[in-house]
Amino acid sequence: MKDKEHIQLEVNKTLDSFDDIQRASANPFLFTRIKARLLGEEKSFWSRAVVFISRPAISLSAIAVAIIINAAVFFEFRSESVPTTQDEEQVFASEYNLSPSTIYDATVDQQ
Amino acid sequence: MDEQILIEKLKQGDEAAFKQVVETWQNMVYNTALGILQNAEDAEDVAQEVFVQAYQSVKTFKAESKFSTWLYRITISKALDHLRRKKRKKRFAYVQSLFGTENQTIIEQPDFHHPGVVLDNKERAAILFKAIDHLPENQKVAFSLHKLEGLSYQEISEVMKTTLSSVESLMHRAKNNLKKWLEKYYGRG
Repeated sequence: MKDKEHIQLEVNKTLDSFDDIQRASANPFLFTRIKARLLGEEKSFWSRAVVFISRPAISLSAIAVAIIINAAVFFEFRSESVPTTQDEEQVFASEYNLSPSTIYDATVDQQ
Repeated sequence: MDEQILIEKLKQGDEAAFKQVVETWQNMVYNTALGILQNAEDAEDVAQEVFVQAYQSVKTFKAESKFSTWLYRITISKALDHLRRKKRKKRFAYVQSLFGTENQTIIEQPDFHHPGVVLDNKERAAILFKAIDHLPENQKVAFSLHKLEGLSYQEISEVMKTTLSSVESLMHRAKNNLKKWLEKYYGRG
């Protein structure tokens, strides 16, 4: 362990090492680089839209919404579909002449 | 050109005005970013981002504060974001190296030498920068603005949107933390 006084001296000297510090200068071509960057950022609306849509948060949310709508529509229609009544079946059968034929009907047709 | 006229022209998208804005404040922005990031390339990158954002959002600038104060705020916000991203990447690389998924070794950051430091103080200043790197964000910002940019506590309070007493407290804690770190550093050697 070093002498406490000596350590304190070193600490103080180090804390004062920023005295008379000069401001660092930026690259002289900074403005040219900024202009190039600005031009690069002027993207079309659609390219920005694609970037926005392809964000995981956006695309996953859209998929989740689509799944929820599909599920809701599916369960809604399933609960509404009730079995057709006897009357409706008979009307349908008579309209398309689907009633079961009997032996009597066959003999009448031959005459 | 008067600052107010310059800002008005910048709001109208005048390129000559933008060039003058960059030339007037580029060293201030770069030096502030350099003090926080301690890396010349990162500081230049952030300086570019700052002026791009200033150009794009100058219409939101209200003359309630000085233009330089507004630029300081953008610079600090961008520099801290950059620093957080860098630290996140470093942590991720460290985890990867632990699990052996990547065969890369983590390279220790070399000592940072600020180009404006007097030659005699070069080595000590590098140690002080190392100590500053261990400070909490707001202490680091306050200390850097005061020591590297020469801002008064009042000016720092305007930049950081806080009270004068808060800045005084931040600086006091920053100096104490730096002292502790340096005492450990010199006591070890």
